[in-house]
Amino acid sequence: MRPTMDVSELLQAGASKQKSIQVEKEIPLDIDIGYLAATDPNPIDEEEYKNNREEYLQSVARDNAQLLINHLFSLPIESSQDGPLAKLPPPTTTLPRAKPLPKPKPPTKWEKFAAAKGIQKKRTEKKIWDEEKQEFRDRWGRGGKNKELEEQWLVEVPANAPADFDPVKEARDAKKKRVAKNAAQQTKNIQRAERSNASASLPQEREKRKTELERDLAQTRISTASMGKFDKKFQGEPKLRGVKRKFDPNEKSADSEKASALAILSKLDTSRPSKRARAEGGDDVLNVRKAIRHESRTGGLSGERTGGRPGKDGKGRGGKRK
Amino acid sequence: MLRVVKPKNARSKRAMLAREPQEVEPAKTAIFVKGSTTGERLNGVLRDLMALKRPNAISFSKKNAVHPFESTDSFIFWAQKNDAPLFLVGTHSKKRPHDLTLIRMYDSRVLEMLELGVDAYVPMSDFSGRKPPPGHRPLMTFDSPLFDTHPRFQQVKSLLLDLFNGEQIDGITLAGLEHVVQVSLGPLPASFTNESTEGKDLPPVHVRCYAMRFLASGQRTPRVELEPIGPALDLSLRRHQPPDEDLWRAATRKRKLEKRDVESGLGRKRKNVAVDEGGDMVGRVHVGRQDLGKLQGRKVRALKEERGAKRRRVEEGQMETEE
Repeated sequence: MRPTMDVSELLQAGASKQKSIQVEKEIPLDIDIGYLAATDPNPIDEEEYKNNREEYLQSVARDNAQLLINHLFSLPIESSQDGPLAKLPPPTTTLPRAKPLPKPKPPTKWEKFAAAKGIQKKRTEKKIWDEEKQEFRDRWGRGGKNKELEEQWLVEVPANAPADFDPVKEARDAKKKRVAKNAAQQTKNIQRAERSNASASLPQEREKRKTELERDLAQTRISTASMGKFDKKFQGEPKLRGVKRKFDPNEKSADSEKASALAILSKLDTSRPSKRARAEGGDDVLNVRKAIRHESRTGGLSGERTGGRPGKDGKGRGGKRK
Repeated sequence: MLRVVKPKNARSKRAMLAREPQEVEPAKTAIFVKGSTTGERLNGVLRDLMALKRPNAISFSKKNAVHPFESTDSFIFWAQKNDAPLFLVGTHSKKRPHDLTLIRMYDSRVLEMLELGVDAYVPMSDFSGRKPPPGHRPLMTFDSPLFDTHPRFQQVKSLLLDLFNGEQIDGITLAGLEHVVQVSLGPLPASFTNESTEGKDLPPVHVRCYAMRFLASGQRTPRVELEPIGPALDLSLRRHQPPDEDLWRAATRKRKLEKRDVESGLGRKRKNVAVDEGGDMVGRVHVGRQDLGKLQGRKVRALKEERGAKRRRVEEGQMETEE
């Protein structure tokens, strides 16, 4: 008979060494695995918190970290150089960007033209075959083929060339001109793009500002007693329409007069004094500081300033006649 | 004429390109600004938070006369100069001692600000646990329902999440999971209501950091054990400036998905596809409605038609029509 072995004890011992990864929560966590974050909607246990705060916080953190790890290990996992890599889904929490979304690059003048004509983009190879040397050479750059003419030791001079004709200089100048032209075209393309960007984003702001300004202007115009009739006008200033001076009739019913007077009075009564006046004088509506400033500027109350600037009276037209 | 800034060499061109707006943004750089008077506590807080934020952190360790809620000009300038949209400002005054202000920028404009008072602080150096190397992403837990419901704590959550984990990534190496940042709230004060925004009516915020240790669990997923590594911060909410609505809308605008991406399942909910615990993708397929009319029931002799009955019936029918 074969000896039987009871492995249940061994299994139990092994199981007790290995701790569980199960965590029980009354309300499941709200996990945003894209940002590796979890929000625990369960309220805190106040008693535990008061008795032993740090241990309680750590136990909560452990449970939630375990749930996050469980979630992470359940994601599709790929192998990588640094070990297994969990593929994360896009996050669900909305965080603001640091910069606005990139705008599509506006086409250059050539690109527009090419699109209109249906010209396909061709890729230019950097190397070009040199028939003479029987090898591939760079199209441009150091030892480039575009400098061929400049580096020639013997050049045919055209018949009508001036005496100081320098073929090398001629070739180099022509090349430099082409480069400069291309640079200028690039700058113009950038400027065009910026202008179109600006005009795309600005109009709302501009329009808003324009209407605001127009409203302010109209308000200032009708703020004089003559409603702007004698104001200085600028060229091209639009004429204000539909604005008329209005007068109350000379004879008014006693009721309406009383009502209007009461309206003014009630306004006076409820209007709150300024912050500073309240702070300084309590109930006193008069802003003392402001009043003093006003008086000192106009020199109304004090008679001390009469001899202040004696020279001023002597100047002017009267002085010239003497 | 519009001024066109043209890079003078390839290196500056690369730097300019890196600063241009990108579709998927890299991690936000944070600047840690020391105010004109900061005590030992605030210096430690800034140092430790910077240690967690590294390598996307810049230290402004000289004294800076800044008052975020009075003037934001300096921050706008610094944000542009350093290409950094986040600020942590430490200031200290008699009225607001140990003041830590978080500022988030969008497009070189101030999006929002949040002022926190550091009521208690235990530095990282007081803990013996293994500190995470720079560049590792923490797991984050926000342990209160208020982080989803209360506007002031939503702001706290959004800012802290952005500070530590704001970068969008495709995958994470499981071996690189090092630490956990826990943000939790204390018990609610008696004066707390859902509408209260004043700091004294709101519970304190506890920020704790733990290193993770993975133990064998007999399964593929390991058991997690934590060990505190600090810093441990107890924060109270002070002044704040919520984001301007228009600016927020502009900042959270999403790219319009291309048709190709939509067809491949991006941007909409993928239904009936899940990943099971073994890491396998499991799909559920609808096989169409079953026609129960054709269901073959139990074959009982009594329900069987007699042989020849059909033929007989047909003959009878014919006779009737003939009549």
